[in-house]
Amino acid sequence: MDFNIETSGTWTGAGGAVLTPPVPSPKPRKIVLLGNPNVGKSALFNALTGLRATVSNYPGTTVEVMRGRLADGGEVIDSPGLNSLLPLSEDERVSSELVRSVRGDDGAVVVQVADAKNLRRALLLTGQLAQLEVKTVLVLNMHDEAEARGIKLDLAGLETALGIPVLATVATRGRGIASVTQALASARVPRNHWPLPEDVAEQALALLTASDAPSQQAEGLHARYHEALLAHAGTLAKRFASDGLSTGQRVSRRLGRLAVHPLWGWPILAAVLWVLYEFVGVFGAGTLVDLMENGLFHKYLNPWAVAAFSYVPWSLPRDLFVGEYGLITMGLSYGLAIVLPIIVTFFTAFALLEDSGYLPRLAVMTDRVFRLMGLNGKAVLPMVLGLGCDTMATLTTRILPTRKERLLAMLLLALGVPCSAQLGVILAMLAVVPFAAGMIWFTALAAVMITVGWLAARVLPGERGAFVVELPPMRLPGLENVLSKTAARVEWYLKEALPLFLVGTFVLFLLDRLHLLEVIIRAGEPVVTGVLGLPKEASAAFLIGFLRRDFAATRLFDMSRGGGLDTVQIVVAMVTITLFIPCIANVFMIAKERGWKTAAAMAAFIFPLAFGVGGLVRVFMQSTGIGVGP
Amino acid sequence: MTTLPLAGVPPAAPSFTCPMCGLAYQPGGSTCKEHGCPIAIGGCATQHCPRCGYTMPDESRSGAARLIRRLFRRGAAKPAHAGSLAELPSGSTCVVERLEGDPELLARLTAQGIAPGVSVHVLQRLPTFVIEVGETTIGLETAVAAAIVIRPE
Repeated sequence: MDFNIETSGTWTGAGGAVLTPPVPSPKPRKIVLLGNPNVGKSALFNALTGLRATVSNYPGTTVEVMRGRLADGGEVIDSPGLNSLLPLSEDERVSSELVRSVRGDDGAVVVQVADAKNLRRALLLTGQLAQLEVKTVLVLNMHDEAEARGIKLDLAGLETALGIPVLATVATRGRGIASVTQALASARVPRNHWPLPEDVAEQALALLTASDAPSQQAEGLHARYHEALLAHAGTLAKRFASDGLSTGQRVSRRLGRLAVHPLWGWPILAAVLWVLYEFVGVFGAGTLVDLMENGLFHKYLNPWAVAAFSYVPWSLPRDLFVGEYGLITMGLSYGLAIVLPIIVTFFTAFALLEDSGYLPRLAVMTDRVFRLMGLNGKAVLPMVLGLGCDTMATLTTRILPTRKERLLAMLLLALGVPCSAQLGVILAMLAVVPFAAGMIWFTALAAVMITVGWLAARVLPGERGAFVVELPPMRLPGLENVLSKTAARVEWYLKEALPLFLVGTFVLFLLDRLHLLEVIIRAGEPVVTGVLGLPKEASAAFLIGFLRRDFAATRLFDMSRGGGLDTVQIVVAMVTITLFIPCIANVFMIAKERGWKTAAAMAAFIFPLAFGVGGLVRVFMQSTGIGVGP
Repeated sequence: MTTLPLAGVPPAAPSFTCPMCGLAYQPGGSTCKEHGCPIAIGGCATQHCPRCGYTMPDESRSGAARLIRRLFRRGAAKPAHAGSLAELPSGSTCVVERLEGDPELLARLTAQGIAPGVSVHVLQRLPTFVIEVGETTIGLETAVAAAIVIRPE
């Protein structure tokens, strides 16, 4: 044995066991967590760092990387999950770059987190780490699940074979975490005994070590390389892990199967949507908004602000803060009272969905619908997230494999997916019109989405990527994870939206002061009144709709509550504003992702379309009388 | 529905049937120059039947025509290999023989643990294929399942 492994033989099973004191070696300053998706990497990260974490974008990308500190000060970096260090997406590129940064750095180690039930796949990555000669500690997480399945792991044997510390943990319950921290100092380069064909090994290593992946490579190299790695990984896994009984699984597995079942999957999907609607639409947009708006703002904050400013002798600052277009009475109260409760409930629901493992199953169920629009089932993720925030969802389109799909998804998001803030307002407006009128809104929207998607899929050059999605086991979401994720998203949203709400209000205030608002309202009259049949004051709403369409929807909602709009007008206004571009931030995001030309083209397409469809809906409703009803 | 870049039959060379005499011919050949047509030198946007001389606009040179064609484009028939996973009924188990098709797709599949010698269990076929490979459950569309060539266990 060419390695003296201090840690072998000291393990007595999952958790609790203590490692023999490692031979003193410098305490690592930098720890990169690496692993397949859904192996509990984040849970281990949280357990290692406590609450000392920050989220930041990886330099030059928009991929988020979590950084935290160990109790002794070492930096821990949580990399995005990946299956192979030969990256296929930007997320994976970040992870493999992080691993490369550890190479040759004496004070840095990789902690590879693996699913204890799935040793074979994990060892594919270990083989690559061995090839890269990176100091590694292998952590077999979710050891309790493996035990429950009757999978017996020979940790000591694996340590000897790999020449690195191998530990078992249950990160969600904090078991075995202390020994991970202790084992860091004894991290080693895994023994490289992966029998790879020479040409494959050479070329793969060149790809692994290059910072910019060269485009020139042998045909099918990736697949041959993975196959060779997997073959040996399979042998190792057979030797050191006994086969489990996959029959031992109960509720989670049953539920996971039912959620994609050709028949039962649909009622489950409907139930999920119904709960989402009840929680976000009824509870968030109804109860909570009422509480915040009527309770907090109308009863207390606004009167207080008005009272406070009544001591100000000049009308200009008074109107600026508490007037009709006041920063407090309009900007803050729209942003905080109406929008905040809705997005908090939405992002909570979304985090629950994410952590339960339902979203990839939703992709399986909806694959066929999205194929109609030149996308595949994976596009459902940005679309559902778009119901929360379209700008955030525009970023998420990166999970789609081809350029064409990313572009299509962005277009559909910008066009027809209402974000939660707007959706909440729209649901509230829907409550006052007949059911048929609400259906007209929905049908118009769905028809526009599918038609535009269908046409664009055929006109845009390029191919649709193949649909392959891993279905992680269904799990009960952890409270801490859901809350912190929701908090991070809400914070992001507020930073993004609230300033724009204030800017929008300020622009309106300024235009009003300079008497330009009347000019604009008059200029917009032919379209707003002529085509859409709305009162001319609605021009002001559409004007700020260029900044944020939920802001505009809120304004229209305000108008309709005052009795200023009839049923046809409400539906026409809703359809038009839903089809608007979500917000100026979304345009910036599209420009950032796809360039200004694309962003401008999308805007030039979307705005006339929005007004055109609005006009059509008006004509349809007036001539048929459908939905106008008593 | 669009075609997937999987291994399959290469697209047949476009042939054109003359609406006048019914001759099937390949447009854009060297026939024009052979006939001594003066506009053929710079490349012209028309094609003509080598038998009867009936002249038509060359659609492959027209952006508008290509756009219309794309609108009506149909998904090609699903490429199903003999003995591919796509043909298995749900509930069956088999062993992967090899993978065939687009390199990037194969890289993705192998990274997820689907490789020769591995046992695959088909859980369902609709709305998409759902398969189990060891402890991993993967959803994939029929065209991808067709890339996985199998042999009985």
